[in-house]
Amino acid sequence: MEAELGLKKNLYMPRTSVTTESNKTGSWRFLRPRYEEKTSPCSTACPAGEDIARIEMLITQGAFKEAWETILRENPLPGVCGRVCYHPCEGNCNRREFDTSIAVHTMERFLADTAARNETKPVLERLPPKGKGVAIIGSGPAGLAAAWFLNMLGYDSEIFEAMPEAGGLLRWGIPAYRLPAAVLSNEIARIENQGVRIRLSETVSASRFEELKTSYDAVFLGCGYWRNIALNIPGESGSGVEDGLSFLKQLRQGAKPDVRGVSAVIGGGNTAIDVARSIIRLGGRAVIVYRRRREDMPAFDEEIISALEEGVELRELLAPVQIAAQGSDCILTLQQMKVEGRDRDGRGRIAADGTSPVEISVQRVFVATGAAAAETWHEPPPAETAGHHTAPLTPHLPLHLSHCTLHQEQQGTPIIYGGDLTNTSKNVTQAIASGKQAAMALDTFFQSGAGTIRERLSGCLVGEGPSLSMEIYMHGPRKERKTHIVSHQEINTDYFQFEPRVIQPRLLIEERTSSFDEIELKISANTAMREAGRCFNCGICNDCDNCYLFCPDVCILRGRDMTERHIDYDYCKGCGLCVVECPRNAMTLGEEEKL
Amino acid sequence: MQLDALDKELMCSGHVGCPGCGATIAMRFVLKALGEKTVMVLPACCWSVIAGPFPQSSLKIPVIHTAFETGGATASGVRAALDMKGDTETTVITWAGDGGTFDIGFQALSGAVERNEDFIYACYDNEAYMNTGIQRSSSTPYGAWTTTTTGADWKKLRKKNIVEALVAHRIPYAATANIAFPEDLIRKVKKAKAIRGSKFLHIYASCPTGWRIPSEMSIKIARMAVQTNIFPLYEVENGVNYTINYKPKEYLVREYFKLQGRFRHLKDTDLDQIQEMVNEDWGLLLRKAGEHA
Repeated sequence: MEAELGLKKNLYMPRTSVTTESNKTGSWRFLRPRYEEKTSPCSTACPAGEDIARIEMLITQGAFKEAWETILRENPLPGVCGRVCYHPCEGNCNRREFDTSIAVHTMERFLADTAARNETKPVLERLPPKGKGVAIIGSGPAGLAAAWFLNMLGYDSEIFEAMPEAGGLLRWGIPAYRLPAAVLSNEIARIENQGVRIRLSETVSASRFEELKTSYDAVFLGCGYWRNIALNIPGESGSGVEDGLSFLKQLRQGAKPDVRGVSAVIGGGNTAIDVARSIIRLGGRAVIVYRRRREDMPAFDEEIISALEEGVELRELLAPVQIAAQGSDCILTLQQMKVEGRDRDGRGRIAADGTSPVEISVQRVFVATGAAAAETWHEPPPAETAGHHTAPLTPHLPLHLSHCTLHQEQQGTPIIYGGDLTNTSKNVTQAIASGKQAAMALDTFFQSGAGTIRERLSGCLVGEGPSLSMEIYMHGPRKERKTHIVSHQEINTDYFQFEPRVIQPRLLIEERTSSFDEIELKISANTAMREAGRCFNCGICNDCDNCYLFCPDVCILRGRDMTERHIDYDYCKGCGLCVVECPRNAMTLGEEEKL
Repeated sequence: MQLDALDKELMCSGHVGCPGCGATIAMRFVLKALGEKTVMVLPACCWSVIAGPFPQSSLKIPVIHTAFETGGATASGVRAALDMKGDTETTVITWAGDGGTFDIGFQALSGAVERNEDFIYACYDNEAYMNTGIQRSSSTPYGAWTTTTTGADWKKLRKKNIVEALVAHRIPYAATANIAFPEDLIRKVKKAKAIRGSKFLHIYASCPTGWRIPSEMSIKIARMAVQTNIFPLYEVENGVNYTINYKPKEYLVREYFKLQGRFRHLKDTDLDQIQEMVNEDWGLLLRKAGEHA
């Protein structure tokens, strides 16, 4: 056989012996790709600065506990906010330009409900104890948030609550059909389990406040606005006239007031809507009387729509002039208004239109035109009066931040005012933002002094702010995120298909108007995962591996668990494919540094 | 996208493919699908260069560099040799460019598949003779500039429909694939590997250098070729059973053309004409697949 193949001796077949890896093709590169996570537009719109893109990614992976903990790092009340927040995140969602926004609030509520049902205990980072105690006055959303975040930062936080149950406005000012009491109690129980003490039925008077200043290292005032602002019209203190907040409070305390006939509700905020919708549920009829137009109402639009669906009547451009009793009824005299130009806040400026007033006859009147601080000492010091006649104050104080005011009188105990006392927008999520900002400001004050607060906080903004991130403050992984806000154009939409947004099941109108049962019903885990899967996860890596797959030069190196990607710059030619094919803009192509 | 069990890398860094080269992406996917027990026959093409100058190799499998026109014949020989050794497990694949497939190697390919040799013939199609300097081939599409179809003399002839030519041989399996659709591509390679007899894969592989496109766009443009129906994804079994794998939303072809320098000279009227040609081809394919437009 060998002899027959005598040719073989003469056959020379050259064989390769080494790989091409000795050619460092990285020298060809003039553009340099890099992994660079960025900020999603939803997270900057969220007053609490929640890491929404990551939360949705974790839901998609079925990591519900981790997703829930990701919320808790920025917001102690996901069960509350998943229900009552006005979800500005959804209004800023990049997916709107593709089909419809992600139902972020539905996802948040799903996570909170799932954690509550499974009695999940969160595992969260907490800094070592600082050995300092902070008294917190008021257990509303601002106080709860301040206590939660101060606890995270290593402080002992103790809440003083005048009422026999905690929650503040959440418990006494929001009807059960929007926020069931059990949900709130569950959230508060978790906050207490993390180490926050809540002292119920302890009203803090002006003198007690002075005592607290001496026995604590700092005091946070989050006592909210509970005093109804007077209309200043004749007859408003007469019989048949009630204030809206007190009415809501009675309902939450279990009262079933008689509201037969027609009730007029004066005001255009969320309280006015809550009062009107509660009256409907109690079997009465409700007419909201508002001196401006519907589009000027401070109430959330979805609430207004729901109220109208349920049969609440809305009468616009009518200002109350007088309330008079007539037998058991009230005669409400109203002046027709007209719009003339614009106010400084952008709403229409109104003025009497010159016609003679109209009268409507109702059985009772509820006033819900806004509230104010119950005591004058609740008010933060005004910006101008830095007290130049007294002894020199600590420099930089009082410090007026976007959501709270820090003050210290003559090296005394620092006082921090928050929640409705300082916020321009008075709602639950802004109150949480206030509590968070207060916790950060106070911690920075103790660490490095009042003069460093602004700078320290500006380094913790989500995107361009004003939302703050506690995870960034605590040097968590989110700190690596670039502040650049991902736009719709930066998403590679080739990787997404049109998919309808989840439709949250709701009670029928008939069911809604006959009970205080929660309107929005639960969704299943599958539905939540599908909805979260619609999320672009703007700016963050979800391990899709496109960079790895499409690299023509085998330059994407992955760690043992197939995550933790790195670029092998020895060979990367800088073609840029990984950056363009990243669906979520979690990579950036920059110029190569000149050597 | 989740592509499991594809972590094994049989291609090395340091090869000399141009930045953003679609042909190297195609190679990576195909080797991941075939695995180590593969012998590759490499007639003259871009990959003759990318695979490395002697004594280097950028591939971790045995490769036989062979003459331009012999892709089908060499593979037949390798297959016969393996069979003689009793090795029926190792896959033999010919990896040829469009020149070596549509033009110069067509005779040997036709002969090999007529004999129903048990091998895969994969053509990575970058639509011209790229490594010799962008000369037109019979795969160059209507409308394209190349260095041999310059200025007003841009190619005014249709691209040869190579899959239909192979289907006419009634081979067990012929399919199109595209680097922008890795799951589909890898599924087809695995399917081809499991079938005995001649298999033909026509793989769209964009060429940033020859098409005058930015390197980072090569996947995007490959995807658009499918989305516009210019390069439909389909497979044909035994020469008769057609399956269309992807029904695009039918983007306009001009979206694809306007991104590429090689088509820059085309006027709106030319693009309208090309749109009609694409529509006609797509209608024909639908009919073959027994579907309605």
